[in-house]
Amino acid sequence: MKKKNMLKLNLQAILTDLLIWIYITGCISFLLNRWFNVAIPGLHIVIYGVVVSVIVMTCGISIGRKVFLPTKRTNNKWYKTFWGWSIVLILLITFIVGWILVEVNPYKFFTKFKNAGGIMSGIFDPNLDLLIVSLTALAETIYLALLATIFAIPFAFLLSFFAARNLMPKTLIGNTVYIIIRTFATVFRSIEAIVWAIIFSVWVGIGPFAGMLALMIHSIAALTKLYSEQIENIDSGPVEAIKATGANTLQIWVFGVVPQIISPFLAFTIYRWDINVRMATIVGFVGGGGIGLLLLQQQQLLRWHNVGMIIWLIAAVVWIMDMVSAKVREKLQGM
Amino acid sequence: MKNIIEINNLHKVYTGGTHALKGINLNVKEGEFCILLGLSGSGKTTLLRCLNRLIEPTSGKIQIDGEDIIAAKGQKLRLIRRKIGMIFQQFNLIKNMSSLTNVLTGKLGYTSLLNSLAFSKNKKDVEIALENLQRVGLKDFDENKIKNLSGGQQQRVAIARTLMQKPKVILADEPVASLDPATADSVMKYLGELNKNDKITIICSLHFLSLARKYGTRVVGLKDGEIVFDGTPREIDKKRFKEIYGEDAEEVEIR
Repeated sequence: MKKKNMLKLNLQAILTDLLIWIYITGCISFLLNRWFNVAIPGLHIVIYGVVVSVIVMTCGISIGRKVFLPTKRTNNKWYKTFWGWSIVLILLITFIVGWILVEVNPYKFFTKFKNAGGIMSGIFDPNLDLLIVSLTALAETIYLALLATIFAIPFAFLLSFFAARNLMPKTLIGNTVYIIIRTFATVFRSIEAIVWAIIFSVWVGIGPFAGMLALMIHSIAALTKLYSEQIENIDSGPVEAIKATGANTLQIWVFGVVPQIISPFLAFTIYRWDINVRMATIVGFVGGGGIGLLLLQQQQLLRWHNVGMIIWLIAAVVWIMDMVSAKVREKLQGM
Repeated sequence: MKNIIEINNLHKVYTGGTHALKGINLNVKEGEFCILLGLSGSGKTTLLRCLNRLIEPTSGKIQIDGEDIIAAKGQKLRLIRRKIGMIFQQFNLIKNMSSLTNVLTGKLGYTSLLNSLAFSKNKKDVEIALENLQRVGLKDFDENKIKNLSGGQQQRVAIARTLMQKPKVILADEPVASLDPATADSVMKYLGELNKNDKITIICSLHFLSLARKYGTRVVGLKDGEIVFDGTPREIDKKRFKEIYGEDAEEVEIR
């Protein structure tokens, strides 16, 4: 193995051990604090972690070493090794800390069921008088999701070509364009639609338009990624063949790339619409309009029979969308 | 006869460090049917792809029909490529489109983007495309989707597509390697016809010596990126064969 590579692996091993042991000492001090009211300063936690990992590293029994560095194959069972026990310790301590932080309380779960009696009775006895109002709100949600998808398509379609590794030339400009678009797509996608909805409900006011804009931004980012990955998976053969006829770059894209991606693009787009309908409900909660907004209002008024009605409608729509989009995608696959 | 292809001291070194072509010098005369023989990895594909710059050569000179393709850029490069048809082992057609559409893409070098978007409306081009399909024995197959055609039929569609370019040269990169022997011969027959009747120069890499003998007017043997044989198909005897394919090789007859 090359020296540089060994150095990198060693660094990775050391870093892994440091993180693991600082995490473990951190967790232990949290538990000590909770149970015995012992306060340990943050700096000390780090120092203990470093000390333990140095000891473990020098003894050559650490997890980092096991993962990153070549070790002699031994027939020791995992429970006879130190790293094996370290992993058990990590899992155990994580579970305990998690239990405390999440305030898990089985007692409440089994004894306080009657608190939910209102909503439960609402679900089993929905207020049918609300049907027309709910359907109107539901239509708003479905159309909002549809328009968000439609508006996202042209943007994502264009961007995806510039975010596909195999289409961008391996020059400085090509690489820069690729990286910028990919980064934007990743960042915008990792910001949840609900956050976009909050931004746009301030920007254009509460209502379905804000919800649509939120879903559109999220859809552009998500579809750009899906589309461009699809482009990267195409057969390069026809592209080469069309290049060889003397076609220019745009012609190569239109005749070599597009025919290969049309049906997967359609499948992804329908899938996205399906996701958008589901997200539109949530987005409505924070000012995106539609059925989500209605649900929020009824819930805050504690009108459980109305809430029940809305929940049934949402479930039905999600179920139907899911089925239809699965069927359409199945058909597209054969094309 | 004048040289239609002149290759001088052509080198190709891949980024991984593989020296695929080590100073190839080769002139091909107009009207020749030149067969490239050699083991996989001997540089046949690299050489063919350098000729229309699907692969960028590292150094050297290539003249096609008197024009320097290495120096050509943009529009100029595309105009030279237009004269060079190419046929691939995997046919490289668009599978979910009709034969006719695939054949029409051969005309792309002659049209602007806007005109090419409406090319199925261009009566003259469609007529020529149908004629070309007929030439390769695929009359009435114009509406069939490529994925419903057999390998031999697909390769013939690819030949028809190349004909749309009105090429002076056809580069064929193992055109029959994924076909059964009988179909392979029928595809080679069409290439032979184009060579004889249309005077199209053909450079074709092959694995079967029998096909090389039947259709080639000249054979060039490649080994490790160098030319180790250049002569007529008749001149390839057991000794020459071993020079190209290595000591352990035995010729397998395919009929």
